Amino acid sequence: MSVRRVEQIMGLPISVDLRDGDAVLAERAFASLRQADAQFSPFKPDSEVSRLDRGELTREELTPDLVEVLSLCDWYEESTGGAFTAQVPGRGLDPCAVVKGWAVQRAADLLRKGGATTFCLNAGGDVVTAGEPEPGKPWRVGVRHPDLEDQLCVVLGVRDGAVATSALYERGQHILDGRTGQPVSGLLSVTVFSDDLAIADTTATAAFALGRDGIEWAAAQEDCEVFIVDEDRRVFSSPGLPVHVC
Amino acid sequence: MKRAIPVLALSVAGLVPVWLYSPGAAHEGEINEAAAAPETQQQPQKQAAPQTTAPKTTGSAPKATGSAPTTQPQQQQQQAQTRTVSGPAVNTEEGTVQVQVTFQGTKITDVKALRAPNSNPTRMALPILRESALKAQSADIDTVSGATYTSEGYKQSLQAAIDGAQ
Repeated sequence: MSVRRVEQIMGLPISVDLRDGDAVLAERAFASLRQADAQFSPFKPDSEVSRLDRGELTREELTPDLVEVLSLCDWYEESTGGAFTAQVPGRGLDPCAVVKGWAVQRAADLLRKGGATTFCLNAGGDVVTAGEPEPGKPWRVGVRHPDLEDQLCVVLGVRDGAVATSALYERGQHILDGRTGQPVSGLLSVTVFSDDLAIADTTATAAFALGRDGIEWAAAQEDCEVFIVDEDRRVFSSPGLPVHVC
Repeated sequence: MKRAIPVLALSVAGLVPVWLYSPGAAHEGEINEAAAAPETQQQPQKQAAPQTTAPKTTGSAPKATGSAPTTQPQQQQQQAQTRTVSGPAVNTEEGTVQVQVTFQGTKITDVKALRAPNSNPTRMALPILRESALKAQSADIDTVSGATYTSEGYKQSLQAAIDGAQ
């Protein structure tokens, strides 16, 4: 039994293409995403993140999930020398960059735990896939061209894996350099392939925040393969990237 | 770790005048000059950008003054002669490093690592990247990776077309 469904959660259009599961299982995955939104959104006054930010909770009182998210934030902040941060000076705590990938990976894990082996979950362009849509064939994950919205710049062939892209084309300058508080420049689009979407998504965002320095930084991250377009329209890609030849 | 190789190579280069020195040699000055600013063909080593994966190089810089280096061939007189010098094997935190330096006269023309650790962190420190030009393509795909944040953007996106096609 297969299910396709699209829902707007965390401000993102989230689609699932579930080839071997039912609507109940799909709902379980979407419910976990709504729950993550309620718990971690800095835009909801009663979320755990907002309560921590207002000083109503101490670090000792946090749920293990938020502790995990914050420790991921800290790890990437340290690794990028502060370019990536969940706490831009003068702004509230915003762990969204980690929460998105983390929550979508958790939803994908729920599908797997529920017995699904073949699906594609796409949350605002961040993708987790499992199995093969057709025997012997991987999921074909097209990466949007940074300049042309109806074109692709590469297609990846992915079975069990995660692909995340951080880019500027839609919301304008939405990624800030945590060291300066200023919008970042240098790169147009960073795509990261990894086993886990929390890693892929955060690595893509952090590389973006580093600007051109993010190219080598991202390529050196463990278990990450990259496809990065800089402002001069040069492409830098890892040899291990699973490029799908159409 | 990889930095140990140029460090060693330069240490070996620094010892060249000592090895080549023979009392009364007429071209002593030339040798010192060459040793002060050796022209090497070795590639500049990239900085290990990632702090998380960069190997620890906290050990003291290896000193190449230990065992006597072996040289071959023995003739030292003609300047244009090609000589190959093997440096001492140096134990570092990451493994044993030994370099071989080839001279054309007093100029270094080649540096080879005879022994270099090939541990994972060493490779991780210097990611290999392919560079190419940006291309546009359209193809049959199952899903789109890209930054889609707004519902308006989604409606116009390839992903919406894929989701709606079923």
